[in-house]
Amino acid sequence: MLEVLLLFGEAVMLFGALGILRFPDVYTRLHAASKCDTGGAMSIILYLVLTMDAPGIVKAKFLVLAFLIAMINPMVSHALARGAYRYGVKPEVVVDMYAWDNP
Amino acid sequence: MSRVPFYLRDRLEALNERVLAERFEASKLPTWERVLLTWFTLLAFWVVITSSLEPASVVSGAVVTLIVALFMRDLLTEDIRRSGHIAEKILYFALIYLPQYLVIMAFRLLESNLKVAKNVIFMDIKPGIVKVKTDLHSDTGVTILANSITLTPGTLTLDVKKKLGETYLYVHWIEVETLNREKAGEKIKGDIEEWLKKVFW
Repeated sequence: MLEVLLLFGEAVMLFGALGILRFPDVYTRLHAASKCDTGGAMSIILYLVLTMDAPGIVKAKFLVLAFLIAMINPMVSHALARGAYRYGVKPEVVVDMYAWDNP
Repeated sequence: MSRVPFYLRDRLEALNERVLAERFEASKLPTWERVLLTWFTLLAFWVVITSSLEPASVVSGAVVTLIVALFMRDLLTEDIRRSGHIAEKILYFALIYLPQYLVIMAFRLLESNLKVAKNVIFMDIKPGIVKVKTDLHSDTGVTILANSITLTPGTLTLDVKKKLGETYLYVHWIEVETLNREKAGEKIKGDIEEWLKKVFW
């Protein structure tokens, strides 16, 4: 029954990879990368924690890993998006309020 | 604000900064509580990372983390508000606020994964960058809010800017629904900002 978590994580990772291939520009690709990596990795780690044959303190280590992934992944995607914008990659958007305020 | 003369605007900014700084100083935690909270956090991290409960390891970890906590007490807990006794605060945080946040974020992460899958299949995107105002002032609170916004469905934080004591977030939205700032803020931030305002300054 718990294999649903593993399957869900793998499917989400697959859709994230597809999104990186199919979306048009940097920022929309970062959407796919950040969200799908976080969700898929956390779901796989949750499956491991629930089914692993190990003492509880080792499972707590896995939970620390999940916490670090959930903290660092959005930060890295934010840094990449801001760096790309500062470098001059133009987004394909309908409205760009960031360019209005930073001419 | 653009019609105000320059000297008045400078004065207004200085006054605003002073009021904010005084409110910030008044709502800080006392020193010993900051040291205690940092010490417990670091000790819990130490025990989990070494993954051994032997007395020698735990005692040496406690001594080292106490020394680190005495020096680094402002790094972790500077932005937490003060209200009530410390035991009450810790119980409230551990039993009510933290599970609330975890449940909200788990469902939002699930929803955002499904939404990215839907977008990949149908390619029905209409991206745009919108500007959103927040009521938070502290660095920790704004960081957690920006990270939560990145994990909520269809949004990604681009930049944070502080102006005249107010904080603005630039958010890349994969499907722009409204350009009104208040409505967009409600849609993007949701109830996470309300949650953060109870804990952080």
